[in-house]
Amino acid sequence: MLNSYRFNTTLMRVFVYMVLILILIVTIVPIWLLIVNATRSTFEIQQGISFLPSTHLLDNYGVLEGRGMNLFRGFGNSLFIAVATTFITVYFAFMAAYGVVVYDFPGKKLFYGFIILLVLIPLQLSIVGFYQFMSRFGLTDNYASLILPAVASAGAVFFAKQYLDSVVIRELIDAARIDGASEFGIFHRIMMPIAVPGAFTLAIFAFVASWNNFFNAFILISSRDKYTLPMLIQTLRGDMYRTEYGAIYLGLAITVVPIIIIYAVFSRYIVSGIAMGSVKE
Amino acid sequence: MNLTLSKRNYYGYLFIAPFVLGFLIFGLYPVYNTFYLSFTDTTLMSREANFVGLQNFQRLFADDVFTNAVKNTWLIWLLNFIPQIGIALLLSVWFTSTRLKIRAVGGWRATFFLPNLLMPAAIAALFFSLFSFYGPVNQFLVRAGILPEAMHFLQNVPITRSLVIFIQWWIWFGQTIIIVMAGMTAIPISLYEAAMVDGASSGQMFGRITLPLLKPILIFIFVTSLVGGMQMFDIPFLLTDGRGSPSSSIMTNNILMYLKFSSSRGHIGAASSVGVLVFIMTTIVALGIFYFLRDRD
Repeated sequence: MLNSYRFNTTLMRVFVYMVLILILIVTIVPIWLLIVNATRSTFEIQQGISFLPSTHLLDNYGVLEGRGMNLFRGFGNSLFIAVATTFITVYFAFMAAYGVVVYDFPGKKLFYGFIILLVLIPLQLSIVGFYQFMSRFGLTDNYASLILPAVASAGAVFFAKQYLDSVVIRELIDAARIDGASEFGIFHRIMMPIAVPGAFTLAIFAFVASWNNFFNAFILISSRDKYTLPMLIQTLRGDMYRTEYGAIYLGLAITVVPIIIIYAVFSRYIVSGIAMGSVKE
Repeated sequence: MNLTLSKRNYYGYLFIAPFVLGFLIFGLYPVYNTFYLSFTDTTLMSREANFVGLQNFQRLFADDVFTNAVKNTWLIWLLNFIPQIGIALLLSVWFTSTRLKIRAVGGWRATFFLPNLLMPAAIAALFFSLFSFYGPVNQFLVRAGILPEAMHFLQNVPITRSLVIFIQWWIWFGQTIIIVMAGMTAIPISLYEAAMVDGASSGQMFGRITLPLLKPILIFIFVTSLVGGMQMFDIPFLLTDGRGSPSSSIMTNNILMYLKFSSSRGHIGAASSVGVLVFIMTTIVALGIFYFLRDRD
């Protein structure tokens, strides 16, 4: 009886690992092919699939650059937008969340309910109205239109509130008040240092979301030298590169590898952050 | 210095003020503006705009382009969401099972989540290359003798649609696993122990304990996935020609909105009407689900 139970468990375990390995292959192979092909020449790529890197990384880069693809510029543009967006998102999200967690002002419940409502509403569908509104101030083709809306990120406030609920120490705030600290001084000098791990997790999400954002930039930005990385990626598919497979894969790899490195270092923060942003409701 | 308690509480308004201001300017006004524009014939080219009532909406329903886009979006979203939630539930049960004791759960989970962080634009371009006529997939299938000769995958309606569905699944299933698992580990073990004492089978425990207690989380996943899915753009836009080819089979709501927006005259009134209808549809369904399925207490 016990033996058959053990046998069944082992059999089940073998089956589960087989399924997991299958899903692992499906997850990894496309990404691995992308990185490997970035180092192979177009000729090699046409010869067949290989899972081993080759030596043509620099040649491929030469092709990209030779056809006027300024990936460094796009990289810099995306980096600037992502860093600015991240700082604004995190700072103002924690500020609003701190207001909700620490003070009991009339309408607070309503405000927080409203934040949750905003998470459930597809606000991005108003991009056309947003575009026309920005164009009235000459802010289209301007990074301000991509960065400033980060002031009001409902999802980020939701996350920050969940986090602050678990780390705010009221005695510390009261002690600081007795010492004569101002309310904003307490937020900046006492709460924010305590909230660094949560702020950091939120920062990773804000950074990746901005880094990968194609749609908004695609609608709002028009001059070539302001293109972000995903916009440049889109032009890679044009006729100019149709036969330069190695260069195309390299262009893609350049957008993907930094994120993989960030993830390799911080995956713990990221995975726990996703769980925290959803579970407590 | 010594503020009374009630007075001090008004500082809360100062702390939420930047958010509220930012929301009014960058969130609420654009929504209002989009609704307003949808009743006009505004274009990017002309300075004049006239109020045209429901004309934009009538035109949307005059041919089946819009209804086709809505159908496509729902189809692609549903067919990627069902396996997503199914696999997430299955793997979460396995990962949390005290009987199976799967090793390196964190490692599996973290790897499965990786595609979610990669740039969708790059993923679309990657799959475009992988499935192109001279691409690796054709090479592999022909050499392995599975296909007699290379085929144009991305000119085939069922294959292209399946590919979009697969990519959407590939991007999102890892995140769904993490959220579902977090929900499962939050369920007190004592409930399962009590059920085991009463002789419940593992199937019964899943149906009577796990699923009911996961309900809030499943609703959360369902609604956020729906809201995102109805705005699907990058993958179907960049996988083929950006017009939903072949035969408009992967034309989604947002691709249609973009096509109206970028048409030669830049008819943003018409583009707005697409945004407005999808906004209303998604909001009603999302809030409806949230309202009707939530726990009534």
